[in-house]
Amino acid sequence: MKPARQRVDRQRGYVLHTYPYSETSLIADVFSREHGRLALLARGARRPRSAMRGTLLGFQPLELGWFGGGEVKTLAKAEWCGGLPLLQGKSLLVGYYLNELLLKLLPREDAHEQLFDAYEEALVGLAGNSTNPLTNSPTNPPANLPSNAPILRRFEKALLRELGYGLLLDQEAGSGAAVVATRDYVYIIERGPVEAPSDDDGSVKLSGRTLLDMAQDRYEEPRTQTESKQLMRRLLAHYLNGQALQSRKIFMELQEA
Amino acid sequence: MRVPSSLEALVEALRCLPGVGPKSAQRMAYHLLQHDPPGAERLAAALSRAVTTLRHCTRCNTFTEDELCDRCASSQRDPSQLCVVEMPVDLNMMEQTQAYRGLYYVLMGRLSPLDGIGPKELRLERMLARAADGIVREVILATNFTNEGEATAHYVAELLHARGLKVSRIARGVPVGGELEFTDAGTIAQALIERRDY
Repeated sequence: MKPARQRVDRQRGYVLHTYPYSETSLIADVFSREHGRLALLARGARRPRSAMRGTLLGFQPLELGWFGGGEVKTLAKAEWCGGLPLLQGKSLLVGYYLNELLLKLLPREDAHEQLFDAYEEALVGLAGNSTNPLTNSPTNPPANLPSNAPILRRFEKALLRELGYGLLLDQEAGSGAAVVATRDYVYIIERGPVEAPSDDDGSVKLSGRTLLDMAQDRYEEPRTQTESKQLMRRLLAHYLNGQALQSRKIFMELQEA
Repeated sequence: MRVPSSLEALVEALRCLPGVGPKSAQRMAYHLLQHDPPGAERLAAALSRAVTTLRHCTRCNTFTEDELCDRCASSQRDPSQLCVVEMPVDLNMMEQTQAYRGLYYVLMGRLSPLDGIGPKELRLERMLARAADGIVREVILATNFTNEGEATAHYVAELLHARGLKVSRIARGVPVGGELEFTDAGTIAQALIERRDY
């Protein structure tokens, strides 16, 4: 049995989202490495001179301490750890997508250390891909940035695996036959790939190459990029159970504008 | 004892204020009725007057009583610069600097993807139309340096760049008169990343 008022100190974690609470406080939804996702009440964090005002910022590694036994714990301490530049531009919008997936799919108070590490790795990747068009002086043009897609696919795969929906990618569902790069497959959710029927029945097909690339987290091939994105979108939509992703909607609206 | 319905209605109405729960609403209601009836009259009159006369300036979107606010109507301001801020309080702060002679656009909010506040909710198309009037030469983004403010700045900048407008962002870093010793590490880290030629 848990003690009624446990005190936890020096936990590495990230703020996923904050909600205003009462006149001057905040509830921070955080993802910590050793305690998973938690709701922490930050008392007075919205006061003008609160020390926490600039600290409880998403996408920045923090060292957190809290106490309490209920569903919402009280944040005692939040210290900035550093080492990760702030996300900017497109990478920032992608960062919101990661957070939204965690908020919608990850249950509270369930430690997922490997997922935490995957999240942190994704943020490091996004921060490296982060350029602000405004701070690039004419003498320092933005380098051609690598795509964020491989970062996203790796994270999505890690998320599904940690939630217990690990993907079968290199074997056929049922028969267990090895997936062949040159053949086409249909992916059945919660089961895995089966070889596509030769006649076109309208189902979404993907190549064996894509499945094998995904199994090894390789996303250089354009076809792999397109097909893995479509597959992940379909899988996530299934597990999100009809909940729409706001961050994706905003991203799409920007591309259309 | 039954609470009279007009008192109940007042308490309920006061609760629409941010941070006011049932207890504070009750305290406010009793205070107004018992200790300050003229104050209550003034409050009622000021509220109904503000609600009926105030509207958004058709150019900068801030609150005004006329179609155009005084600032937008003034010939003393430089119409080639447009500063985009989140809220009227930010505009007031910019004005206090006495360092800016251009005009403004007040978004009345910020993008917040996780709260479902997107470009449509912010009505960014109005800001775009304002910036593309042919007179504005430079748009200065002065949204907050929070993730939401930064996302808003990025989004707005992308839209404006696509229309060929010059876009700038206010600088951030160590405060004026600030000493490194007493500045938080996050600010110094970002100031270092965003350092410029000198």
